[in-house]
Amino acid sequence: MVKLPTSFSMSSIIEIQNLSKHYSLGHESRGTLREVLSNFNSNNDDIFKALDEVSFNVEKGESVGIIGGNGAGKSTLLKVLSKITKPTSGRVLIEGRVTSLLEVGTGFHPELTGRENIFLNGSILGMNKQEIKSKFDAIVAFSGVEKFLDTPVKHYSSGMYVRLAFAVAAHLDSEILIVDEVLAVGDAEFQKKCLGMMKNSEQSGRTVLFVSHSFAAIRQLCTKGIWLDQGQVKFDGEINKCIDAYSKSFQSNQTLESNESDEVVLGEIFAINAKSQSLKSFSNGESIQLVANLKINSQEIPDTVQFRFVDISGQVVFVSNHSDQKTITMKKGWNCLKMIVPAYLLNEGVYSIYMGIGFHSIRWIVRELKVFDLEIHFSPMNLDFASVNKRAGVFAPMLEWQIDDQIRTESDYD
Amino acid sequence: MSKTVIDSSSDSINLKELSHYKELFWMLALRDFKIRYAQTFLGVLWALIQPAVTILILYMVFGRFAQVETGQIHHLLFTAVGLLPWTYFSYVMQNSGNSIIAAQAMVKKVYFPRIIIPVSKALVGLIDFGINALIVVVLMFVLKQNVSGNIWALPFFIVIGILVSLGIGIWLSALTIRFRDFQYVVPFMVQIGLYLTPTAYPSEFAIKQLPEWASYLYFLNPMVGIVEGFRWSILDCQSPQSLSYLSFTMAFILFISSVYYFKKIDGKIADIV
Repeated sequence: MVKLPTSFSMSSIIEIQNLSKHYSLGHESRGTLREVLSNFNSNNDDIFKALDEVSFNVEKGESVGIIGGNGAGKSTLLKVLSKITKPTSGRVLIEGRVTSLLEVGTGFHPELTGRENIFLNGSILGMNKQEIKSKFDAIVAFSGVEKFLDTPVKHYSSGMYVRLAFAVAAHLDSEILIVDEVLAVGDAEFQKKCLGMMKNSEQSGRTVLFVSHSFAAIRQLCTKGIWLDQGQVKFDGEINKCIDAYSKSFQSNQTLESNESDEVVLGEIFAINAKSQSLKSFSNGESIQLVANLKINSQEIPDTVQFRFVDISGQVVFVSNHSDQKTITMKKGWNCLKMIVPAYLLNEGVYSIYMGIGFHSIRWIVRELKVFDLEIHFSPMNLDFASVNKRAGVFAPMLEWQIDDQIRTESDYD
Repeated sequence: MSKTVIDSSSDSINLKELSHYKELFWMLALRDFKIRYAQTFLGVLWALIQPAVTILILYMVFGRFAQVETGQIHHLLFTAVGLLPWTYFSYVMQNSGNSIIAAQAMVKKVYFPRIIIPVSKALVGLIDFGINALIVVVLMFVLKQNVSGNIWALPFFIVIGILVSLGIGIWLSALTIRFRDFQYVVPFMVQIGLYLTPTAYPSEFAIKQLPEWASYLYFLNPMVGIVEGFRWSILDCQSPQSLSYLSFTMAFILFISSVYYFKKIDGKIADIV
């Protein structure tokens, strides 16, 4: 695998040139033993292009966030860069040692103690015994599991397990760090610690490639963004522009016409912030106005227009009906409805918004129509709010807290 | 700073890279050994009980019931030495076939030379080999058997034994990824192999009873020559049959072809497993 590359530009530490990875779909077990012995490829017709002619460069010291929907090829790209799987065509030139962290705790064995697992995991990640020994104390300190070092990890809580595993990986010396969505595990406190660790590594000149669904984490960590869509690079540039471009794409996928009826015609439906900027990604510190234009053709005016927010796990976060507001009524012809989601209510995450129009308890004209996805991120610039990462819980409201000069007991209020 | 090119071409065998990962060989082998007897009552004693019972049973059946003639050598010792390479071979065969599938979580998430996985099984097997060797030494002492003057040749047979075990192990691990059928074939091979290998009887029995062409086939089993070689160099039994060269050639062919084949599929393992 190690050959002298033919051409390296001066500062690029990773050069990806027309990289493709194809998978043949299904029929895995087809093919006779003889065919397989002579050629391990199954020559099938159905081909899935996980990566399709991907090209971009990464400069030394850069942190690159890779974003895109499910199946966009993010993980495949990381696997190819980590040498786990081979590309079908194209090539990558890498200058320096690569550490990839596609999973926390790869190779951990539940029957082995924490100490033994540090050595096992370290050597799987490519460290030699000397390296592990010299970093052992730092690893243990970072993980915070000193007391349980000689306990089999099967008795660890999942938090301890993750902390120990990340600690090993975080102490690898390498010029390039590749990280998949590993921060999704562990509590917020620990996530912060990991982000800090990666950020430090960036300052010390390390190059980081980072896949995450958390735009907040990516904004915090990365300077450059690559948006992958169906195996192709859709955007390559500054991180905020990249996220914006990606966010805008959520809307265009929806076809509203199919849900129209004679009774109601849907016009534009979009979200804006207080400055009337149309966005798909909002800071939790700003209120969101959902604007829906709809034309009513029937004599009978529908009495309910509804928005439903659903999080990525499929849980309904809340439902809101326009009829809650008794003072407004729709008329025949065009109507423009606005619903306002207050600032400091939603937690960080991506929410799918569904719309319904109908007659309460009688029938729907438009039912559970997905209009678009919205992303809420916690902005590190926002000093009013104490969290920079997703909080536990469905909502992350900012509630009023007070401090009283006197100590009061329950009986004082009687 | 190291420079790497990743493309679709297949790799040549990269010994430099393997030596970088030598730590991992030991760690994986150590892990296997540590977890093998975890939460068992008798612990490592099992590594002693299993071969001891096997020797006894084979001695009962072949030495006592069937009255197999083994010349000057006590049949118990004859069997113990015969089982020494066979037990190692069968251990590696049984454990490496499944090894990559068992490690698939790792294979899909991190890169290291995959051949380390089956090879580390051959390393663990050496621990059992050592325990078996201990049984042989104790038996020789108890039965007052002198060490043969051919003992100098033993390392040669050990090396061939390791090579053929590696060869079979690597072949099986690579094939099992694609054809899970081998999971069922292997136990069968171990069972049959025990009888097709002269562990508890001398190979001349087979030569005497079989037509000439079948003797050739019999010696294609690489373990025939190796078992004979072990007994010759430890107990000074009859020197290896001339047909043993067939066994040794097979051992080399198996080893070299296995490495070749493994390298060929190496880059696709994570996609298939």
